[in-house]
Amino acid sequence: MLIATSAALFALGLLGVIVRRNVLVMLMCMELMLNGVNLSLVTFAQQTATAAGAVLVFLIFVVAAAEIAIAIPIVLLLVRRKGVLDLDAYADLKG
Amino acid sequence: MSHPLAVIVLLPLAGFLLNGLAGNRLGARFVSAIGCGLPILAFLVTVKCFLGLQAAGGAPLIDIAYTWAVVGGSSFEVAFYFDALSAVMVLIVTGVGSLIHVYSIGYMKDDASYARYFSYLNLFLFFMLLLVLGRSLLVLFVGWEGVGLASYLLIGFWFEDPDKARAGKKAFITNRIGDAGFLLGMFLLYTALGTLDMDRINAAFMATPLPAVSASLVGILLFIGASGKSAQIPLHVWLPDAMAGPTPVSALIHAATMVTAGVYLVARMSGIYLHAPEASAIIAAIGALTAFFAATIAVVQTDIKKVLAYSTISQLGFMFVALGVGAYSVAIFHLYTHAFFKACLFLGAGSVIHALGGEQDIRKMGGLARRIPVTFATFTVATAAIAGIPPLAGFFSKDEILWFAFASSSGGSPLLFAVAATTALLTAFYMFRLLWLTFFGRSRMTPETEHHVHESPASMTGILIALAILSAIGGFLPLPHFLGSLLPLPEIAPALEHFETPLMVVSIGLAFAGLAAAAYLFGGDADRAERLRRRFPTLHRVLSGKYYVDEAYDWLIGRPLYWISDRVFLRLGDQKLFDGSLHGLAALGRRSAGGLSRVQNGNLHLYALLVLVGIIASLAWSWRHG
Amino acid sequence: MIETVLLWLFAATALLAAVLMLVLRHPMRVALALTATMLSLAGVYALLGVHVIAVFQVLIYVGAVMVFMVYAIMLLDVRDRSFTRRFSRLLLPGIAAALLFLAILAHGLWRALPEPSGAAVGTLFALRHFSAEFLNEYWLHFELVSVLLVAAVVAALAVLEVGRRHRG
Repeated sequence: MLIATSAALFALGLLGVIVRRNVLVMLMCMELMLNGVNLSLVTFAQQTATAAGAVLVFLIFVVAAAEIAIAIPIVLLLVRRKGVLDLDAYADLKG
Repeated sequence: MSHPLAVIVLLPLAGFLLNGLAGNRLGARFVSAIGCGLPILAFLVTVKCFLGLQAAGGAPLIDIAYTWAVVGGSSFEVAFYFDALSAVMVLIVTGVGSLIHVYSIGYMKDDASYARYFSYLNLFLFFMLLLVLGRSLLVLFVGWEGVGLASYLLIGFWFEDPDKARAGKKAFITNRIGDAGFLLGMFLLYTALGTLDMDRINAAFMATPLPAVSASLVGILLFIGASGKSAQIPLHVWLPDAMAGPTPVSALIHAATMVTAGVYLVARMSGIYLHAPEASAIIAAIGALTAFFAATIAVVQTDIKKVLAYSTISQLGFMFVALGVGAYSVAIFHLYTHAFFKACLFLGAGSVIHALGGEQDIRKMGGLARRIPVTFATFTVATAAIAGIPPLAGFFSKDEILWFAFASSSGGSPLLFAVAATTALLTAFYMFRLLWLTFFGRSRMTPETEHHVHESPASMTGILIALAILSAIGGFLPLPHFLGSLLPLPEIAPALEHFETPLMVVSIGLAFAGLAAAAYLFGGDADRAERLRRRFPTLHRVLSGKYYVDEAYDWLIGRPLYWISDRVFLRLGDQKLFDGSLHGLAALGRRSAGGLSRVQNGNLHLYALLVLVGIIASLAWSWRHG
Repeated sequence: MIETVLLWLFAATALLAAVLMLVLRHPMRVALALTATMLSLAGVYALLGVHVIAVFQVLIYVGAVMVFMVYAIMLLDVRDRSFTRRFSRLLLPGIAAALLFLAILAHGLWRALPEPSGAAVGTLFALRHFSAEFLNEYWLHFELVSVLLVAAVVAALAVLEVGRRHRG
């Protein structure tokens, strides 16, 4: 059941990246994906009584934090340049 | 000398190489010396071989020079064969050839490509000697093709003029059409007999049982090749155009030697033709038709060289009539006398053209008899010879042909005789017409030409005199008897034997009748001829248009071929198919690239969707395969 | 018993909040929904007995990441087209693909799910034991992650520099 939930959370996060237009909302959906994966890892760690899953979750925390620390400033700078948060405005790398 | 025949063949080749490679640098004297000296040397070696042949009582001399290839059980050698027939041919080729070479010194003196001319002439001589001395049909064929090449080079000698270049091409291509038949004949012979050596082939056909190949079929195929080379119908169209080359070339190649190669081939393969009555009948028929047809055209020609060209075609027709009725040695006899008087006529025409500074239209000549007397005298002798006036050479050979056309038991008939006799009458008529219009009467020349008239130098007139003498006395050589053991004369039905003398009288009468008619029509002031022409305008037009054969060929063959090449091969095949497929491939690449590049539109949503699709695909695939 | 109910409750809350994330218009509300998801997940972890992870979930994810996120949202309060038109052009293809994805995952997971070993968790995930195991067995990963953090710090400084230069 928990595995199903984690799969659903991951799928919803990925869907959110595809579907939502706001850049910040997309970032948040990526966090949701990470959370889904964390849940599955913890569930497996608990079910098989090994510590590896939990350790990996710990490391994912760190990575997520570092990522968000850089992603948001990048978004800030981009928005300063373009003035909009709509992702369609950032299609410069065409072709 | 261990390989005399090879020496004869190689001397002109050396001349070609020397003159071709070094002639321009070493000057005209060197070119003349090499270009004429080597053929004369070849002639002397030939005389020596001929004397040796006489001493050996006619036994053929075989000279194997080089083994070219050994394929399975048979070997192909470059071998030369010298018997009575070869002797006659080689003597004519080297003898008359040398005379014409010497004549060319004077004629081509002012030409810029003097060295090239002599090198090509020597090349021609080399190939012609390969042709007549070759033992196997293969060596003959090499010579055959080679003389075609030399003919092309020499006809188109002044190639800067596109018409002359086109004439050369026409000659070469027409020859090639004939060569296709020749090759097929060779293939058949090789498959049936396993050898291409002509003496062995003849022996196989003369033995019993006959080889398992249709002699008539082979005969017809070889004759197709011969008719291409010897300008018989329907492959005669190249010879009149070949007059675009220098006049000595016309004399050598298109009168004395190359065009006789076809006659030589049939005579040499007499073993086959003796057992091929259908083929022989066809040869006689085409020969007679060609002779008559060409004579009628010659009657209305206005270019001095074209008259002689059609005359050559007509005389070759005579030779083929003789071959067709089984009188092979008589055909060779006529070949031999024809070489003398036709060469004399052509060189005489060359002398006239030289004297008039390039004028070739006989309507613009006249009154030259006193101004260029030597040319006039030799031309008259040669004209009388070709008309068949006794006791000149032409009379003997032509009379023999007429006799055998009537009386030979293998194809002779009164009809054949009638056609041949009419042609003989026409021959006398148009030749004397030529003589009258060129040399007699009031001068119709333009003032500048008249000013220019002068007799040719001694190097040219000397040769003319030599050839005229040969035309006069050449008939007294009993050639048919000389060749008799090799080429037996056909049987004459006893019932017809008493016609011999009456027919001789008839042929003499025809010659004089032609002379009289020409004198009457063209003697006074050519007015009577004009009135005759106006009475028969259509006939005159058809004859002047050469029966429109060239136009017919163009319409029936040339244009459809051109259409096919353009529409089918160029537009459909090359442009649409090949270029189209290449362009299609390129366009396919371009369009697919254009289509695929729409994936990269910079939109992150699309990229994320594609990632998801990729994950799904890889999951599905990995879980499907266990 | 109550634990199972609570587990289901927390899981359901997480799912519900996640769905809300996709539907809400204002980014601030989306952030709050995400926070709710994360807290529910922390509850799940705690109920599973993996307390150390639960704590760190709240500390790091909610405490740092989401705060930063909210801060950014408040800074960039731009009412542009993404506010009125929430969804991109790929809404329907996206939903279809997501459903297909779930179906395949379900199919695959249903076939091959590892058996729970049933061993007692015990004190495995207690802080003392966990940290000892972590720093004994996985010290290399720990060091590498700290390198990653250094890289992140450098990147942040670089971003600052770019921002400062841009502002002139």
